[in-house]
Amino acid sequence: MAWRDFKKRLKRQMSDIMDIPSDIVMDLPKIVLVGDLQVFIENHRGIVEYTAESARVSVGEYEVAVTGEELLLRNILPDEICLEGRIKSVYFIR
Amino acid sequence: MFLFRLASFVFGYVNMLVQGENIEKFLNVAVSRGIYLWDISRAGDNRIFVKTRLSAVKPLRHIARKTKSRFSFRGRKGLPFIAGQFRRRKSLLAGALIFMAGLYILSSFVWFIDVKGNRRLPPDMIMKTAAEAGLRVGSLRFGVDRQRVENIILERIPEVSYVGVTISGTRATIEIAEKIIIHKLQMKPAHVVAKKAGLVREVLVLVGNPTVKEGDIVVPGQILISGVVSAPDGQNSALPGGPAGGQLVPAPAAPPAYVHARGVVRARVWYEGYGEAPLVEEGTRATGSTASRVCIKIAGKEIILSGVQKIPFSMYTSERDVKKPPGWRNISIPVELITDKYTEIENYREERSRDEAAGIARRKALESARCGIAGEVMILREQSGEVVLKNPEGVIRFTATIETLEDIGVEKAIH
Repeated sequence: MAWRDFKKRLKRQMSDIMDIPSDIVMDLPKIVLVGDLQVFIENHRGIVEYTAESARVSVGEYEVAVTGEELLLRNILPDEICLEGRIKSVYFIR
Repeated sequence: MFLFRLASFVFGYVNMLVQGENIEKFLNVAVSRGIYLWDISRAGDNRIFVKTRLSAVKPLRHIARKTKSRFSFRGRKGLPFIAGQFRRRKSLLAGALIFMAGLYILSSFVWFIDVKGNRRLPPDMIMKTAAEAGLRVGSLRFGVDRQRVENIILERIPEVSYVGVTISGTRATIEIAEKIIIHKLQMKPAHVVAKKAGLVREVLVLVGNPTVKEGDIVVPGQILISGVVSAPDGQNSALPGGPAGGQLVPAPAAPPAYVHARGVVRARVWYEGYGEAPLVEEGTRATGSTASRVCIKIAGKEIILSGVQKIPFSMYTSERDVKKPPGWRNISIPVELITDKYTEIENYREERSRDEAAGIARRKALESARCGIAGEVMILREQSGEVVLKNPEGVIRFTATIETLEDIGVEKAIH
């Protein structure tokens, strides 16, 4: 585990020094919220759970959970998911 | 996004209901295989609606089997399905095709020919010449060689100085500019005769033998300048090498020569007119208000299509215009389109003073006298006077005389 932590730290420092967006360098999810209407989740690893009230999306080491009402998966692409509906919360589950 | 949807419409897409224990897995596998899914919504426990392209349905079957889920179709949209509908209604498609073909074929003929710019030439003649050159009603648009038509019209009709043929749509326009051709003077023998009665004031002979002189009174048809010229007596005697020893030898009478007489004979011509005006005038006249109605007559029954139902005038005159479809053989269609026009009239009674009536009568008299005047004339005198009768009957009567000076000569061929 130490090796992986070291690599992570290196990457973060690199992205800080080189001024490269860290979502690219570190392969992190990028989550964009448009009001409470839409959530875009980039760099995802697949859907874990989807119901009308909640959705969980795997993003590698952890999950992004979205709760709301009348949730609708507007589209699913290999690296992007768009969720629509009245969104209440977005949080991470480790 | 819009382009994506448009592409989906073109290639066709389906809405399907997926059921299964592990729907998330179904979605993940489908996405990882590159299948585009959209508008995914929950329909209940273990059921979701998914939209996907028609081409993705086959791979989805495998995925569904693998992930132990089932799907059924709930809607299909897009061009392939619309095309399928048309495939079932072949005659509709055929009709549309025939319509398009008919439109195209019919619009590739010339259906109207206009002739523009001709003033003296009859349009029929130009159209006939154009028809000979290949431009006629019903000829194929692309088959008309405009240059050739123009050249042939120019060749065949000498009065034409310019032809332009343009075809726009189904209408061909032949534009023409005419030449002014000066015809040779007619040199056939002719007299100058009087066209009106008058008192001759001046005679100017260019060719011919004058038979009237100033102060003569002529009647219509009288010869003014004769086209028959007998050789003057003095001419024979003045021949070179003529009289010998100072003695006049009577020459044999030369036959008269016939010429085309020309000249100007101005004469005073009188025109007379009469006018009257009653002191009290009664009659009817239009008030200026009109009403109209259009009705269609089918087998004896008239149905009012538009216009007034009841005629809103107590006194009126009516005009009726009936349009009937043309009959063919013994078949006549018993339908007529009738347009009635009603003009309101009213009675009137007008009382005039003597002076007013006299003014009207004088004006009418002069007008009626002027009716006969035509052409280039010089008015010398206008005169009007009241006709006084023993019992005037309430009517003022006037006569008028206009005296003019005008050329009364007109050419008339010698038979």
